[in-house]
Amino acid sequence: MKYLLATLGIVLAAAAATGFVCYRLSCEPALHAAAKKGDAMEWLRTDFHLDDRQFAAIRELHDRYSGDCDEHCRRIQEASRLKKALVAGGADRAAVEEADRRMKELREICETAIARHVRQVAAIMSPGEGRRYLAIVLPKIANFDHMAAPDLNLSHTP
Amino acid sequence: MDSPQEPLSQILQSWNVNPPPDSGFRAAVWQRIGRRSRESWPVYLREHAAAWVLVAVLMIGAAAYTGNSTARARVRADRESLAVTYLVDLDPRVQATLRP
Repeated sequence: MKYLLATLGIVLAAAAATGFVCYRLSCEPALHAAAKKGDAMEWLRTDFHLDDRQFAAIRELHDRYSGDCDEHCRRIQEASRLKKALVAGGADRAAVEEADRRMKELREICETAIARHVRQVAAIMSPGEGRRYLAIVLPKIANFDHMAAPDLNLSHTP
Repeated sequence: MDSPQEPLSQILQSWNVNPPPDSGFRAAVWQRIGRRSRESWPVYLREHAAAWVLVAVLMIGAAAYTGNSTARARVRADRESLAVTYLVDLDPRVQATLRP
């Protein structure tokens, strides 16, 4: 009985050690650290294996894009306020439809701008990493709910 | 069982078992006791090698799979959360709803 228990103990210990080693080998600590900090730029650097030159170029592209993003954001907010004012003021249906059309147009401009930006980012990465990056972000851009902040699963549909 | 009328108790009383004496019985018992007390772990393992190899392979394989798939699930979750953080920052449509 004591040999059975001792052997079982050794097998369990070996299994636990194997499980731990496999876990550590398949883990990506840098990715986890970036996720804990919510640092998306660090994610790009580590997950897509950017060298310093690529990382600097992408950061510069992001800085330039953030100005466009702010401008688009301002326009959408303006259009949204206008539409709310029209609805609250009892404006005619044509005016509300026109405001809706304007909102839709602005969202499409934004979606196109984001897609163009991420394609520029992908072009800076190595070809394989760029493809992987686009495969992750492009579907999410298309699925982003236009009216609300997305949840983590991006389950909203436009 | 010659006469069915004879009571069972009488039959049992008259029943005698005389097994032939086994001169090696006592020695064989002591030999088995001695062998048991001398059994070592390596001997035990040799005797049960097939069963333990099977148990070890199954348990270690299951542990490796579990460790690997747990890590992969964590990587997927981290990547998903970072991609969303990244796109929320980039997307004016979302920013317009988040900003005052």
